[in-house]
Amino acid sequence: MELPRYKIFYERSRRVFEFNSVGPKGEISKLIRFTKMRVKGVFNLAFGDKKPGTNEIDDEVISNNGDTRKVLATVANAVDMFTREYPSTWIFAVGSTRPRTRLYQMGINKYLHEIVKDFEVYGLIDGEWQKFRSGIMYEAFLVKRK
Amino acid sequence: MKKKKNNNDKRLMVEIDNSLEKYVDMPLFEEKVNEANRILSKVGLPKEKKKNK
Repeated sequence: MELPRYKIFYERSRRVFEFNSVGPKGEISKLIRFTKMRVKGVFNLAFGDKKPGTNEIDDEVISNNGDTRKVLATVANAVDMFTREYPSTWIFAVGSTRPRTRLYQMGINKYLHEIVKDFEVYGLIDGEWQKFRSGIMYEAFLVKRK
Repeated sequence: MKKKKNNNDKRLMVEIDNSLEKYVDMPLFEEKVNEANRILSKVGLPKEKKKNK
């Protein structure tokens, strides 16, 4: 399924991606990074806004640029590109705040029927991973290409 | 001067930009990664069913 998304820029290892969100607040440059975690074969997914003129990334800022769906579709595209390069890795994702985790949850929920065609998706609840199901509030997510 | 990224170029939806390499090992999202490591060390990974050959 092709959802509207932003053009994405990436470097050779496909662990860092960048795109520009465009909306009422102007152009906001966003960076996505997959960071190797201590547990072998797991990468953490994080993204945030690049602070203009610095190399700093703010992952708590709320951009309110009116393009949440397009931003999430672009992040999903980065996940797709990353997992094509590293097909056996797990991706761990959690929002920087509870509302943001809920936002990720809603994004997964909405397109779950499409996502599960290519990915295994788990949600963390009460200290256990379970297959992602709609209507449950999870604390974190794990995704892996099938 | 760094060339501004053109969002409106619809010919390619993905494009390589090697200037992003500086972010590969840069300390970023450290709090988040530490928290993720803490959670994973506690709960581990899901048990995967073995695929039939």
